[in-house]
Amino acid sequence: MKTLFQTSLKFAAVMLLLIGGAAITAHAQGARLQIDQLDSLANKASETVDVKLDERLMATTAKIFSGKDDEDIKEILKGLKGIYVKSFEFDKEGQYSPSDVESVMSQLRGGGWNKIVGVKSRNGDNVEVYLMMQGDQIQGLAVISAEPKEFTVVNIVGPVNLEKLTQLEGQFGVPELGLEQPKPKKIK
Amino acid sequence: MKTKLGITGLLIATIVWTPLTSTLARGDDFDAVVKAIEQFYHVKHQSLPLLARAGMKGARTVARVRGGDYKRIADAGSVRLVFFEDQEFNSHGRIAGFKASIQNALNEAWSPLIATLSAKDEEQTYIYIRDAGAKFHVLVVTIERREATVVEATLAPAVLATLMKDPGEMGKTLTDDAAMNDPK
Repeated sequence: MKTLFQTSLKFAAVMLLLIGGAAITAHAQGARLQIDQLDSLANKASETVDVKLDERLMATTAKIFSGKDDEDIKEILKGLKGIYVKSFEFDKEGQYSPSDVESVMSQLRGGGWNKIVGVKSRNGDNVEVYLMMQGDQIQGLAVISAEPKEFTVVNIVGPVNLEKLTQLEGQFGVPELGLEQPKPKKIK
Repeated sequence: MKTKLGITGLLIATIVWTPLTSTLARGDDFDAVVKAIEQFYHVKHQSLPLLARAGMKGARTVARVRGGDYKRIADAGSVRLVFFEDQEFNSHGRIAGFKASIQNALNEAWSPLIATLSAKDEEQTYIYIRDAGAKFHVLVVTIERREATVVEATLAPAVLATLMKDPGEMGKTLTDDAAMNDPK
C-alpha cells in the first residue's frame, strides 16, 4: 500500500514538473502568434509570401552578419527572437473569410497585447498594429493588414518598436507597410 | 531500487532519443526533397548526363557548378543540383499540400526561411537554411509549370548575409547561378 502511495506521489510530482515546464515554454513564446492555420489560403491566393526567421535562425544571425558593413543590421536584429510574415494576394475579393482573420485576432485580445492607436499606413492600407508588453518591456509586435484582395500578418518576437519595424520594412521579407507613427498633438 | 532507476533512465533515454534517431534514419534530406517532388507531382528528375544528351544543360553547367564563376556564391564543389524538365507540375489546387510535404521531407536541422507561392502560375520557391559550423547549407526548391530545380549549396556567412537581405531574390540568384549555361 505504501509502495502504491509512493509511486502515485512520484507520478504526480513528475506530472507537475511536466505541466510547469510547458507553462514556462508557453509564456516564453507568448508573443509568437500561431499563423500556420492560414497556410491553406495559398491554394486560393495569386501570390503568397511566407517568411519564417525562427528563434534558431535568429540565434545564428550574429554569425551571418559578422561583417563590418553589417553593424546596422546587427543592431536592428539585436534581441529579436523571430520574424514571421504571411502575406496573401488574391485576384478577386472574398477569397479569405472573417474566420481566417479571427483566427489571428483572437490571439491578440488580452494576453498582454495592446493595439497601438493612430498608426496609419502611407499606402492607404487598413493596418492594425499591436504590441505585447510585459511591464515596460516590449515582448513582441503584430501587424495585421486585411484588405479586400490582400491579407498580411507580420509577427516579430522580441524587443521591437515601430521605429525598428520601419527599419525592417523591405528587408528579410518584411513587406513595405508604409507605417507612420501618430504625431504628438501641439499644445495650444 | 537500482533496477527501477535503470528502467526509469532507459525510458527517459528512449523518449529523448527516439525523435532524434527517427530523424537521422531519414538519411539524405536533398534526396528526400527530390523524392517528395516526384511523389506529389508524379514526375521524375533528370540527371545531368541525360540533359546533356538531350542537348540542354550539360557538361559546361557541371563545370560551372563545380567551380568557374559559381565560386562567387557557393563553395566550389559544394553544390548539388537536380532538374525536372518538360514535365507537368500541377498541384490541382493543393499547392499548400506540397508545401507541407516539403517540410515533412526535411529534418528539424533545416530552418525554413521563405516560401513564395503562386497557385495560378504553379510557381513556387522554398528556401531552407542549416547551420554547418563555420558555414551554412542552403536548400532551394524552385517549381514552375513545366520545370523544377532543387539546389543545395554551402555558403560562407558573408554571402548568406547579402542574400538574406532580400530573401525573395535569394532563391532565384542561387538557382540561376547553378542552372545557367556557361555563356562562353
